[in-house]
Amino acid sequence: MKLNAISTISKVIIASYLFFSCSSDLDFDQVEDLKLEPVVVANLAYFNLPANEIIYNGNEQVAFDISDFDVIRNKFFNEHLKKAAFNFEIENTINRAFSVAILLLNDNEDILDTSTFQVPAYTGGINIIKFPPEVFDNQRLEILKQATKIGFIVRIGAGPPLNQNSPGNLKLRSSATVYMEIQ
Amino acid sequence: MRIVFLFIMVAFQLSCFSQNRELLYNFTSIPQSLLVNPGADVSYKYYFGIPLLSGVSANLGSSSFSAYDLFANNGVDFNDKVRNIINKSSGKDKTQVNQQLELFSGGFRVGGKDSNSYISFGAYQEFDFLMYVPKDLAVLALDGNQNYIGKAFDLSDLSLRAEVLSVFHVGFHKKMSEKLVLGGRVKIYSSGANATSTKNSGHIYTGQSVGSPNIYDQEISSHLELKTSGISTFTKDEYDGNIAKDIANNTFFNGSLGLGLDAGITYNFKDNLQFTASIVDFGFVNQTKDIETLTYIGQYKYEGVNPNFGISNDPDNVFDEFERAIPRDTTYNKYTTWRPTKFYSSIQYSFGESRFGDDCNCKGSIQRKYTNAIGGQLFIMSMPREPFVALTAFYQRSIFEKLDLKATYTFDAYSNTNIGLGLSGTIGKFNIYGLFNNVLEYKDVSKANSLAFQFGFNFIFQDPKE
Repeated sequence: MKLNAISTISKVIIASYLFFSCSSDLDFDQVEDLKLEPVVVANLAYFNLPANEIIYNGNEQVAFDISDFDVIRNKFFNEHLKKAAFNFEIENTINRAFSVAILLLNDNEDILDTSTFQVPAYTGGINIIKFPPEVFDNQRLEILKQATKIGFIVRIGAGPPLNQNSPGNLKLRSSATVYMEIQ
Repeated sequence: MRIVFLFIMVAFQLSCFSQNRELLYNFTSIPQSLLVNPGADVSYKYYFGIPLLSGVSANLGSSSFSAYDLFANNGVDFNDKVRNIINKSSGKDKTQVNQQLELFSGGFRVGGKDSNSYISFGAYQEFDFLMYVPKDLAVLALDGNQNYIGKAFDLSDLSLRAEVLSVFHVGFHKKMSEKLVLGGRVKIYSSGANATSTKNSGHIYTGQSVGSPNIYDQEISSHLELKTSGISTFTKDEYDGNIAKDIANNTFFNGSLGLGLDAGITYNFKDNLQFTASIVDFGFVNQTKDIETLTYIGQYKYEGVNPNFGISNDPDNVFDEFERAIPRDTTYNKYTTWRPTKFYSSIQYSFGESRFGDDCNCKGSIQRKYTNAIGGQLFIMSMPREPFVALTAFYQRSIFEKLDLKATYTFDAYSNTNIGLGLSGTIGKFNIYGLFNNVLEYKDVSKANSLAFQFGFNFIFQDPKE
């Protein structure tokens, strides 16, 4: 019985050892280092301008519009935006050359930034041009952050006149790749 | 955003383990085993727990990572650790915390010395937290959608429930015969704070299709709902109280009320072959106090700017459009939450007649006492997605007449190396018990995926030996 008691007691001691435990060195301050860097792609702008709607009255500027562009003005977005790249793709099936200008404007409609894309006339075949990305970083990023409106100017090149029966379209598709840094 | 993310990470860190009490279950020398099976074969003349110290328990852990994975001081960039954890988690991984503190408890035998009917009662405070790993949303926050064209980020990944409540209970069990013990318990719940967001659906999608006027097809379809009770007061700007104090006050004196039942059975096929089963927390809470439900329901397609050449301008404001499409609505409807219901069952085979029996088998009882028992237990708990299931093998031994040991090996979603050890000893009338799960992990708790412990002190009075 006595021997049994000793072995029992030792069992209890071993069990009580479990009350004491160790832990590796942990550093909870690392949470401060958390940095999210999502890369988001989104539609930017698009249009489809049919040839028969282009009214040519001697002025080379055939289409113009200014739209609100308030995404950038969002505080969260504005604060965490590190870089952006705009990708433009234009398809022309009209037998005239065009130039498309994309403007970034502020509330007073002062032009802050202009990107211009030249599109050759349609001569059959595929006429889709993917332009190199317009990159906004450093100085140009600051300009982008002040933009509240986006403007579109379509200018027509020389060539045969267009009328209500002219075939073809001028299509623009574009996207933004947005690099965020949230700390 | 960052705060939300931090909250998620901290929750991960706490995260954990199920409410399985495999060590306590059918450990009948501990009166608290009546809380996991009201039909357990527990006998006493009367007992009471030391207030606040009769049952202290906590379950902590995590199915897909440990505190070490996240916070190790090993020079690895924190962002890489977060990324690794998210990558190896799935939407099925969950984090769970359950904590209970018994405020008071007691019991007595009804009827005379020969009666086999017992009452037990008490009150405890409980905190429950369950959250599934919101994997898709975490990936979106970490990486963005650039490399996930064609993928729908699933909003149903967002699923959590949390509750603080107090439970007042009274139970009754009776030894109907040498073979059969039946018991039941009625519970009144008083919920101080509840947050439930388990029925979410929707997606955030970016894809590409031929013939689209846009480069991407982008859509958010959202059916998000967060119901809260006892919380909205604290989120108001004008609130300047002590949140912990107010929640405690609401939990005990001004909570949303609910009702629950436990039921259990012990059946001895033979002297040494025993079957038990119980259902615990079959009940609900009617959430009525300080209720608020937040919803974001709607659908939004993002197309980008479409200039209207020649026509007068119709300014489109993306954020206004978004808010119109998926408005934030607040409603104030009462709702009912179901308590996580637990089901336990066990089968036990005993062997090795007790050597201590010689001097205590004199009550006229012919029942033999065995030194050893082995068996298996099954645990099932209801959850928002699929039920949680655990299987346990156990070995129980009376080291002395009044010192019992139980060892368990449990296999579940969190771990397949979960060895638990429990001891219950009685010195005079004083009962001490300690139950420790996952003992292998105690050598470095920071690497543990789950930990659970319970301890407590009781005074148990039996009939004096004749």
